[in-house]
Amino acid sequence: MNISLFNQMIKLNMKNFLIFGFGSALYVVLMTSLYPMFAENAEAINELIKIIPETLKNALGFDSLTSYGGFISAEYFGLFFPIILGVFSVMTATQLLAHLVDKGSMAYLLSTKVSRTQIAFTQALVLISGLLFIVLLTFLGGIVAGEMLIDDQTSLEFNTFFHICLVGFLLFFVVGGYSFLVSSLCNDEKKSLGIAAALTFIFYGLDMAGKISSDFEWLRNITPFSLYNPSGIASGDAEIFIPSFILLGIGFFNYSAAVVVFKLRNLPL
Amino acid sequence: MIQIQGLTQQFSNGRGIFDVTFEVEKGEVFGFLGPNGAGKSTTIRHLMGYMKPQKGTAIIHGFNTWEQQEKAREKVGYLPGEISFLDGMNGLEFINLMAGMQGLKDKKRRNELIERLQLEPKTPFRKMSKGMKQKVGIVVTFMHNPEIYILDEPTSGLDPLMQKVFIDLVLEEKAKGKTFIMSSHSFAEIERTCDRAAIIKDGRIVTVKNINDLQYMQRKIYDITLENKNDVEKIKESNLIIENTNDNVVRIVVQGDYNELIEELSKFNVINISIISQSLEDIFMNYYDTKVAVK
Ligand SMILES: Nc1ncnc2c1ncn2[C@@H]1O[C@H](COP(=O)(O)OP(=O)(O)OP(=O)(O)O)[C@@H](O)[C@H]1O
Ligand SMILES: [Mg+2]
Repeated sequence: MNISLFNQMIKLNMKNFLIFGFGSALYVVLMTSLYPMFAENAEAINELIKIIPETLKNALGFDSLTSYGGFISAEYFGLFFPIILGVFSVMTATQLLAHLVDKGSMAYLLSTKVSRTQIAFTQALVLISGLLFIVLLTFLGGIVAGEMLIDDQTSLEFNTFFHICLVGFLLFFVVGGYSFLVSSLCNDEKKSLGIAAALTFIFYGLDMAGKISSDFEWLRNITPFSLYNPSGIASGDAEIFIPSFILLGIGFFNYSAAVVVFKLRNLPL
Repeated sequence: MIQIQGLTQQFSNGRGIFDVTFEVEKGEVFGFLGPNGAGKSTTIRHLMGYMKPQKGTAIIHGFNTWEQQEKAREKVGYLPGEISFLDGMNGLEFINLMAGMQGLKDKKRRNELIERLQLEPKTPFRKMSKGMKQKVGIVVTFMHNPEIYILDEPTSGLDPLMQKVFIDLVLEEKAKGKTFIMSSHSFAEIERTCDRAAIIKDGRIVTVKNINDLQYMQRKIYDITLENKNDVEKIKESNLIIENTNDNVVRIVVQGDYNELIEELSKFNVINISIISQSLEDIFMNYYDTKVAVK
C-alpha cells in the first residue's frame, strides 16, 4: 500500500463517506424515534399486518415488528441500509479504478515506482475504509438513539446490534469486492458502474424472490444477500459466525482477484 | 539506456505499432517524430509498462518494461501526451501526491520549477487552461530529478515563452547527462534539443538519423517576393525548383543545398522572404516517397 495515495484518495472521497455515513446514521435515529409511536399502536398495526400475505411478511421481516429489534432490523437494516450501502459500494468501487483508467489519470499514478499491485491494493483499502466508516457511524447512531429513545425493556442488546452491523458490513465488503473486481476489469467507467449495479440488483432480487416463494428458496443459495439476516439476528435465530466467515472469504477472494487482474491486464492509458 | 526491439502491438482496428526498433544512449536527447496516429504514444506507453507487447521487448536501465515495470519506471520522469488529472484536486495537492508516490522529500526543486514556469499551483484543475495543466505535468515530471525523461508531446499547449523555458530546462538536464526521449509531430520543435530522431509513420519506423542529417534531408518552401516583376521570368530559367508563381511572388522548394538559392537570389532585388510551414510528411516527402517506392 502507498500512504500518499491512500491519504489523497481518502481526502477526495471524504465527502461521500460523510454524506453516506451521516445519511445512514440519521436514518437509524429517525426510525428509532418513530418506534415508541409505533409500539403504542402495536395492536392496530398488527391487525393491519395480518392482511399482508404470509410470504411477503417473511420477505420484509414484518413478522417480528413487535419488538424494537424486530422493527429496526426490518425497517432499516433490511431495507434502506442495503440500498444506501449498495449505492455507495458500486459507485466508489467504480470511482477508484475504472474511472481513473477511463479518464486517463491512472497514467500519472502509474508513472512512479509504485507498482500496479500496490495501487490496486491501496484503492481497495480506501473502499473498505469507507464502508467501515459508514457502518461505524450507523452503529453509533443506532446505539445512541436506542439508549436515549427506547425503553430499556424493549431495547436491542448492544451485542445484537453490533452483530447486525458486523454482518451488514461484511455483506458490503463482498458487494464492494465484486464491484471492485468489475471496476478493475473495465476500461469504461459507465460499463463498470452498469455491470456492478446490475449484479447488486440481481443478487438483492434473488434473495427477495427466494424469501417470498418457497419454490424459489434455492435461489438464496447463489446470492450473498441471504447470508445477511438482520431480523434473524435481532430475534436471536440467525447464525452469525458461519455466514460472516463465508462473506469474509468471498470478499477476500474478490479483492485479490481484482488486484491480480489489474496487475496483468493491458491498460489503455 | 533504452532499448526497443521488434516491439509490436496491433489493435483490433488493425492500427498499432509494428516491429519498432531503436535504442537511446545514455545522455542522449532522442526525438520521436510522426504525424497524428503514427504510433508515438503507443510506443511510449509500452515503455511505461501499460501494455504487454504482442511481440518484441522494451528495456529501460536493463529492466523489461512489462515484466519489471515498476523497476523500469523507477528512474523515469514521464509526461503523458493526454493530460488528465484527478478531478476535485488542485495543482498543489496533485504535485504533493506525486511527490509522495515518487518518494520525494526535498521541495527545493519543486518550488524552483513552479517559479520558473510561473505556475499558480493552488488553482483547481477544472479552472486550469491547457497550458497550466501542461505546466503541472512538467513540474511533476522534472521535480524528482529522474535519470531518464520520457515526454509525450511536451510542449503542446505552451506559449512560445514557456516553450523556451521548457527547452532551457531540457538543455540543462542534458548537460547533467540525463537521457531523453520526446515525441512530437513538428521537426522544428525537436531540432533545437535533439541529437538524433526516429521518424514513425503508420506504426513503422521509417528512419533513425542524426538531427544534422535530418536537417539536410528536410524540404523547405519559401515564398520570395521580388521587387521587379520581370525578374520572375528570369528566376524561372534557373535550376531552382519552382512550385508556382503568383504575381511577383515565387514559391521555391529547397532541399539540402541553400547556396544555389542564395546565389540565384543575390542577382535580384528581394523585398520579402517567408517560410511556409509544412506538415512532417511534406518536410520529409522525398524520404517517405523513396521508401514507398522501394516497397
Ligand atoms: N487502445 C487502443 N485501441 C485501439 N486503437 C488504438 C488504441 N491506442 C491507439 N490506437 C490506435 O493506434 C494508432 C496510433 O496511436 P498513437 O496514440 O500511438 O498515435 P500518436 O503517434 O501518439 O498520435 P498523436 O500525434 O495524435 O498523439 C492510432 O491509429 C490509434 O487510433
Ligand atoms: Mg500521441
